[in-house]
Amino acid sequence: MDKQACANAPVAEKKPRKPFEYIAAVFKNVYVLYAISIICFLSIWDLVAVMKVFGKFMPRPVEVLQQLGDMFVHPLAGKTLLVHLWFSLKRVLIAFVIAVAIGVPIGLSMGFSPYINAIVKPVFDLFKPMPPIAWISLAILWFGIGETSKIFIIIIGAIVPCIINSYNGIRLVDPELYDCIRMLGGNRRQEILEVTFPAAFPAIFAGIQISLSMAWTTVLAAELVGAREGMGFIIVLGMNLSKPAMIIGGMVVIAFTAWMISLAVTRLERWVCPWKTNLE
Amino acid sequence: MSDKPSSGNSKVLKILPYLSLLTVLAVWELIVDTGLVPNTLLATPAQVLKLFIYKLNHADPDGAVLIVHVLTSVGEALTGYILALLIGIPLGLLMGWFVVAEGLVRPIFEMIRPIPPVAWIPLAIFWFGIGLTGKAFIIWASGIVPCVINSFVGVRMTNPVYIRMARTYGASDWEIFRKICIPSALPMVFGGLQVALAASWTALVAAELIAADAGLGFLITMGRRLLMPDMIVLGMIMVGLTGVAIGIIIDRVEKRLVAGMRR
Amino acid sequence: MENKSGVKKPKIECINISKYFGEGREKIHVLDTINLSVEENEFIVVLGPGQSGKTTLLKIIAGLYRPSTGKACLDGRVITEPGPDRGIVFQRYTLFPWKTVMGNVEMGPKLRGVPRKARREIAGHYIKLVGLSGFENAYPHQLSGGMKQRVGIARAYANNPEVMLLDEPFGQLDAQTRYLMEQETVRIWETEKRTVVFVTNNIEEAVYLGDRIVVLEGKLPGRMKTVYKVDLPRPRDYTDPAFLELRHRITEETELVL
Repeated sequence: MDKQACANAPVAEKKPRKPFEYIAAVFKNVYVLYAISIICFLSIWDLVAVMKVFGKFMPRPVEVLQQLGDMFVHPLAGKTLLVHLWFSLKRVLIAFVIAVAIGVPIGLSMGFSPYINAIVKPVFDLFKPMPPIAWISLAILWFGIGETSKIFIIIIGAIVPCIINSYNGIRLVDPELYDCIRMLGGNRRQEILEVTFPAAFPAIFAGIQISLSMAWTTVLAAELVGAREGMGFIIVLGMNLSKPAMIIGGMVVIAFTAWMISLAVTRLERWVCPWKTNLE
Repeated sequence: MSDKPSSGNSKVLKILPYLSLLTVLAVWELIVDTGLVPNTLLATPAQVLKLFIYKLNHADPDGAVLIVHVLTSVGEALTGYILALLIGIPLGLLMGWFVVAEGLVRPIFEMIRPIPPVAWIPLAIFWFGIGLTGKAFIIWASGIVPCVINSFVGVRMTNPVYIRMARTYGASDWEIFRKICIPSALPMVFGGLQVALAASWTALVAAELIAADAGLGFLITMGRRLLMPDMIVLGMIMVGLTGVAIGIIIDRVEKRLVAGMRR
Repeated sequence: MENKSGVKKPKIECINISKYFGEGREKIHVLDTINLSVEENEFIVVLGPGQSGKTTLLKIIAGLYRPSTGKACLDGRVITEPGPDRGIVFQRYTLFPWKTVMGNVEMGPKLRGVPRKARREIAGHYIKLVGLSGFENAYPHQLSGGMKQRVGIARAYANNPEVMLLDEPFGQLDAQTRYLMEQETVRIWETEKRTVVFVTNNIEEAVYLGDRIVVLEGKLPGRMKTVYKVDLPRPRDYTDPAFLELRHRITEETELVL
């Protein structure tokens, strides 16, 4: 009896609460902290802008908002902000679809056949460490600075996660699941349909997810080098016109779009694989 | 202990990768040599090798010998990368354990995180110029994200049993953080190192493509301006090789550190 | 070890089974000359500590492993590959995570091409038998360990196998759930009799469940040591003196430290 009381004592012990701890408790509320954080961030930003720490190259948050509103209404290089965004998204979508259509089958066949794997993997490993952006020059040389070269670069960026995840998805299926379906009487075709594909699907989907965000990053890089429209173009234009508010405005839209994309994909994932347990 | 017969013939599987690489090189050489693809668009492997040897001790036509380009890029990348580690890891660890740190930093982090590093390039040039500082900033901005995330998740995944045990023994929050959360987060933190490196290296190439006077990205851009496909390909290969080399070195350092900590 | 009731034909026969894994210097001898025959509708428990080759023996009967020497027979036919005449329940449950409880249990009939309505009926029957009515649409990750293993048992049963093979099915459960699942196993088995080979490392579980208990030696390679016949009436009582005595005897004689 005594022993047990002893073991529990330090856990049960609670310091008496002093009045200021109630105030402290308010500051331990996450949402209060979030609000403080955002307010601090904006004030410091404003302060830095007003004090001209970076000279004229740091606009105030208000100026960025004004610029954003302006770009929504008044066309830049003949197109409003949403049209520019649509151009970037269109490139991403086209390249992304092509990358998935090529990358997933390559990855799958590598996972299924050790022979295809032995042939493709060394070539793939050779190209993998080169960042997609390093292909820009070659792409421009080959296809000019038109749409084709941009799509090409985005495909290069987006295809890698598709291949890797499809390959690993097939390879890392729990072998006991195969034992299980064979014991239930499944033949080779049923093994693939009922086990391999559904078991590898979450990994493949994760690869597609990564590849979409890679595509979004790469489209900007592609548009930085010679483009007439798109979000990357807005940023470059801001740089050439020495208008940092335009740059930051563009970055805000880019970040927001990226955020929306990942939100949409997460929703989609919950819908297409409801069995996947959430880690968090 | 699988009992299934290993699928495929192991001898063939050992030779195939080399055959495959040789075939790729041969086809590459042939399509250019036979004029199927004009030499102005693609250099042959032999040409690239020749330029590589030439660039070892010649500064022309782009203004610097190869090793200078490599060292410039590596220097920029490591500066930004190390700064990202020094700031990102402690930040992530603190955010993982202290509610106040998370509450204050998370919204800002979540706002900045979705911005691709490439988008920072113009601002970085405005603020810090096209020299080392500007590049280091871009690399820092892209390298810090995985550092923070991995350290944060690492601390969050600490086995709660250890924390409860420490509390039972009367450890303070700070002591628990130092003696339990940090050690148990280390594997995740180390996992973040490689991810951050890959992100940094990609960002560097992007930064050098836009504005630079030396470095591997600059070499690639010059290859395009001078219409020298062999220089473009050489630049790309060097980017790939150097990236892999840094990765291996960091892997070694990481293993050394882990071994040191076990002792 | 030969059973006296030689008139009945054995359902499962293991004849001189030995098993090695690996090759050359890494060759491991896992099972050594196992001879065993199991009668129809007999509940046999293979008892042995970790690393005694008991799972390997089970997987040989399942057809997932081939014996290095000797043979395993089912109804006098040599077992060469896995098949739906034997149902297996895994230690790690190994449910299909992308299928609901219903989807998992109806998998066997589905593979055989049983039409949807009929297989739903079969699956529903076994889901009810294992006591999971109302959870048909739950995914495995929403279930507790005990419930997952109920699904595993129902899935194996729904394929109407002649033999049930259970590989330490309750090894990952807490003691309370384990007792409950042992009682459930007996109840289910008495409702729908099958020939059962049940692998475990738990003496109490073995005595509670088995008609006969085959003890494997505690180190590799696994050899048959003793076979105990358990004559206690079912349902057995864990605290019955006869039960405790048998449990004690096996513990003493096998010197298993568990």
